[in-house]
Amino acid sequence: MNLSKAHVLLLYLVLTAAIASGLALFSSASTITGLLQSASSGLFLPLLLALTSAFVLDPLVSLLEKYRVPRGRAILLLFFAISLVLWQTGSWLISYSQQMWESLLRDFPRYSSGLITYLQEAQQSWQQSLPFLAQYDLTGWVRGLTERFFAFLLVATPKSALRLGSLLLLVPLFSFFFLRDGDSIRRTLVGLAPNRYFEIIHDLSYRISRQTAQFVRGRILEAAIVGLVVTFGLSFTDIRYAPLLGLFAGVTNLVPYIGPLVGMVPGILIALVDLGLGGQFWWIVFIYFIIAQVIVDNFILVPILISRFANLHPLLVILAIVMGGKLSGVIGMIVGVPIASACKIALVEIRLYRRAFALPDTGDGTS
Amino acid sequence: MRPQWSALFRNKPEEESLALFLARVPVFSALKKRDLPYLERLIHLRRYQSEETVYEQGDPGSGMYIIRSGRVSLFTRDARNRKEELTVLGPGDFFGETTLAAPAARMVSAATLENAELIGLFRSDLLATADTHPDIANRILLGLTMVISERLQAATLELRRLNSLTAPATNEAPA
Repeated sequence: MNLSKAHVLLLYLVLTAAIASGLALFSSASTITGLLQSASSGLFLPLLLALTSAFVLDPLVSLLEKYRVPRGRAILLLFFAISLVLWQTGSWLISYSQQMWESLLRDFPRYSSGLITYLQEAQQSWQQSLPFLAQYDLTGWVRGLTERFFAFLLVATPKSALRLGSLLLLVPLFSFFFLRDGDSIRRTLVGLAPNRYFEIIHDLSYRISRQTAQFVRGRILEAAIVGLVVTFGLSFTDIRYAPLLGLFAGVTNLVPYIGPLVGMVPGILIALVDLGLGGQFWWIVFIYFIIAQVIVDNFILVPILISRFANLHPLLVILAIVMGGKLSGVIGMIVGVPIASACKIALVEIRLYRRAFALPDTGDGTS
Repeated sequence: MRPQWSALFRNKPEEESLALFLARVPVFSALKKRDLPYLERLIHLRRYQSEETVYEQGDPGSGMYIIRSGRVSLFTRDARNRKEELTVLGPGDFFGETTLAAPAARMVSAATLENAELIGLFRSDLLATADTHPDIANRILLGLTMVISERLQAATLELRRLNSLTAPATNEAPA
């Protein structure tokens, strides 16, 4: 094929135009994603909390709907009841938690110095038996860490109070709309599917969203009960901050394997510093390990509340925690595992679905 | 009226007629008039081009379709993939209702013969209704049971008729 000069010129122009438009598209796309990113920053936490509370409140709304209360009115009724409870307990709750937080901030240096003393003793003993570890200064590292953490707490407290205010506004608003329109949002999204796949996608999306809602509800309930058990058990001892420790144990319980261990650390540390190595200390350890984790969580709650499909391999749990932490800090570490579990639920549901009907494209391979 | 204005104002009467249309479908015969607005939100209105596949034999079935407009052909395929038409359905007819209550693979294939508007009602929506509006779900299931019972009776009678036609032959065979 012989190309004339005009052809070559045309080809050159077309190629240049293609490359230029490609570059323009790429740069505008990255600008747009950048804009989207900065526009949505700070919305992650309220959206997540709203979604979670919508999942938790949905059964109550359905219950009211059963008695022929329209859905919108049922949600408003529920919100009204919740705000009534918060209003009644609010003044007590706020002053109580504020007092506790302030005294914890006062006590924090004492606890961290207690931890450092214990570490120093331990370091001396292991350095005597293992001399090649002499250059590793674990105590100094922990001291730096606690100092930085304390400074962060002092700075973050007024900031987080501000954030709490915006959360109190945004979370109920978002969760109202998630509760009211969540189903129609899902229907609209599913409705975009082409006719040929609409039925399958509709059925699958229903199954996946139902399973995910059950899983989230189960996890939240599990964390709440573990937190209550810890609070209740600790309140029998002389330990301070039992409600705060219970809250911490409950929140960290959302992360499997590692969470419960992290959740115990402050309680055991405070017990060690305040109460010493006595009977009460071992009772507190017993509450954390045996009662809250083994008996209540593993023997009672997990078999009832959590579907075994949602179980993740420990390796995946660690990966989810690390990746979640990289993406969005402490919150990412907590929600990484539930999000990974939700993905697994979706995959398992799709596999079950394909197996149940032996779809044409897989039927030959599996049967 | 100019077309764009008619498109703007046509919305309401069309919706009303959708409720009336649904009320005439045998599966929804047990529903009360006040249930119809809820039913309208429950169903999915889908538009199909001419000769578009609704589902194929062996697909996972999860609900029924009601024809609002257009015609739909139900057919099976033999071993050599040749179409064997069973019936052609028109507006007001419905198909696929046996998978509404129990999940099963589709027994036949369905495809539109012309541009068509189909109304889909699926099991997952019915299950969600059973949670929030058990009375409405009950009435839909009652209508479904009536339809399926009638079909079963007709099938039994047909089977009996066919049996009596072949009965002399089977009686003679052992003798």
